[in-house]
Amino acid sequence: MATTLTNFNRAPLHWFAPVTRVRALTLLAAALVWEGVARSGWLYEGVVPPLTAVARAFVVLLVTGDTYHHLAVTAWEVAAGFGIGLVAGIAFGILMGARPFFGRAMAPYVDGLATAPKIIFLPIVMLLFGVGITSKIALGALSAFFPVTLNTAAGMHGISPVLIRVGRSFRLSRAQMVRMIYLPALRGSIIVSMRLGLGVAIIGVLLAEIKLADRGLGFLAIDHYNQFRIPDMYALLLFIFILAIGANVLIGRLSPRR
Amino acid sequence: MPGALVVENISKRFATSAGALAALEGVSLAVPQGRFVSIIGPSGCGKSTLFGVVGGLVPDYEGRVLIDGAPVHGTHDDIGMVFQEESTFPWLTVLENIMFPLDARGMARNECRERAERLVHLVGLDGFGNSYPAELSGGMRQRTAIARTLAAEPKILLMDEPFAALDEQTRLLLGDKLLQIWRELAQTTLLITHSITEAVQLSDEVVVMTYRPGRIKRVIPIDLPRPRSSEIVESAAFGRLVGTIWHDLREEALRGLAQTEPQGVSH
Ligand SMILES: Nc1ncnc2c1ncn2[C@@H]1O[C@H](COP(=O)(O)OP(=O)(O)OP(=O)(O)O)[C@@H](O)[C@H]1O
Ligand SMILES: [Mg+2]
Repeated sequence: MATTLTNFNRAPLHWFAPVTRVRALTLLAAALVWEGVARSGWLYEGVVPPLTAVARAFVVLLVTGDTYHHLAVTAWEVAAGFGIGLVAGIAFGILMGARPFFGRAMAPYVDGLATAPKIIFLPIVMLLFGVGITSKIALGALSAFFPVTLNTAAGMHGISPVLIRVGRSFRLSRAQMVRMIYLPALRGSIIVSMRLGLGVAIIGVLLAEIKLADRGLGFLAIDHYNQFRIPDMYALLLFIFILAIGANVLIGRLSPRR
Repeated sequence: MPGALVVENISKRFATSAGALAALEGVSLAVPQGRFVSIIGPSGCGKSTLFGVVGGLVPDYEGRVLIDGAPVHGTHDDIGMVFQEESTFPWLTVLENIMFPLDARGMARNECRERAERLVHLVGLDGFGNSYPAELSGGMRQRTAIARTLAAEPKILLMDEPFAALDEQTRLLLGDKLLQIWRELAQTTLLITHSITEAVQLSDEVVVMTYRPGRIKRVIPIDLPRPRSSEIVESAAFGRLVGTIWHDLREEALRGLAQTEPQGVSH
């Protein structure tokens, strides 16, 4: 699995460790190139604004109350969409694994839809739920649902059949089977599902906001773009980027081991 | 404590890609209350299938299973099963594994814990209650599985080759442990094994099964004195019984080998 990468990232590093130095240098080099391009005048000046302008816009963004209003909207949409997609995906995945016939019947549809970009559902979702927050939640949920379902169903295949037989021999109810055997056995799969699901839920929500909304970070980004506030747009993208990394780190804290 | 087990004329067929496969044919046996009976037979003769039928996990068979004279269908509270495969829950500690069936029945937490701690001691795992299965040896994991089944206090204990994966020494010593537990709890016990020494060491009766379809070939009473310990393997009577069983088993094992060998060579 990806644990090597994770462990690598998690390993305690001193600021002067070689890897840290290379990482810092990469960032510095990127910044220098950016600044060089910005000052050279090769590109239309608005496209690559000087870093100082972006930095200034970033500070303004951080101290503007409005940013957090939009952030709260997006965070709510992502949380609700992710939550719904996660729960529904786990339930559907367990069902597919526990009822092999049902699993085989559903597999082509789940596989097919899982690879389709969920943004194609946006028009339908808008028709159903309107242009407000609900349609963003729906798109987030739809995005999270498929990878979670696939991962959970695959995890179900990985459960040793004898554990199921132990549960049956102790005469567990269906609900106990889920709570006492399937869910704990799926712990690792569910954590991976959460990472994948959260990532795509964020993408789904932001895309929906960019397409059609009057609130949220995605809306703010496209609004900056439309108004040609390019430094603000870059600052906002940086802000979103940092938030996404933060969310992933939080989920990564849940160890898939054991 | 009642708990007499009767198996009446059980037949079981599996539908396989190569057509119907008769796994069991007319198997009847009785384990009187508090007795220890072993079933021995060549690999693939249907022992696990019989275990599954009696435990209520294998559907669609012919014949009847009776507990204390009453026919039963499906799983039953009076029956406890210990499986051939590794079956401890890896996400639970030894103690939590043993508490599992009690948790499922909604028993109060501290009562659960008390009973589980007694069982940890009974199976000789003192000091390992808070270890996870991955931190234990195979024999310790199997003892955890046995303790977990015992926790539910079944009247009848079914075990499917619980020590199959262990070496001979460990197996003999765990056999002693099993006998000690059996004396203490007086459960009706049906043990499936492929070890002749294990069968003779532990049982009141050894049932020899034929190779496919699984039938009962012979029932051999083990009239060795009790209480027994693993030192009994040195005695001449023990050796004679092992010889008798091997005589019957050898024929079946050879038949099994002859039937599987050509396939084995061809692919
Ligand atoms: N679910 C099943 N579907 C089809 N065939 C099966 C199934 N379960 C068992 N069999 C077949 O039935 C026969 C008996 O199997 P079983 O597992 O009961 O043997 P066993 O005596 O327990 O063998 P071993 O000592 O190797 O555990 C085997 O030929 C096996 O291939
Ligand atoms: Mg078997």
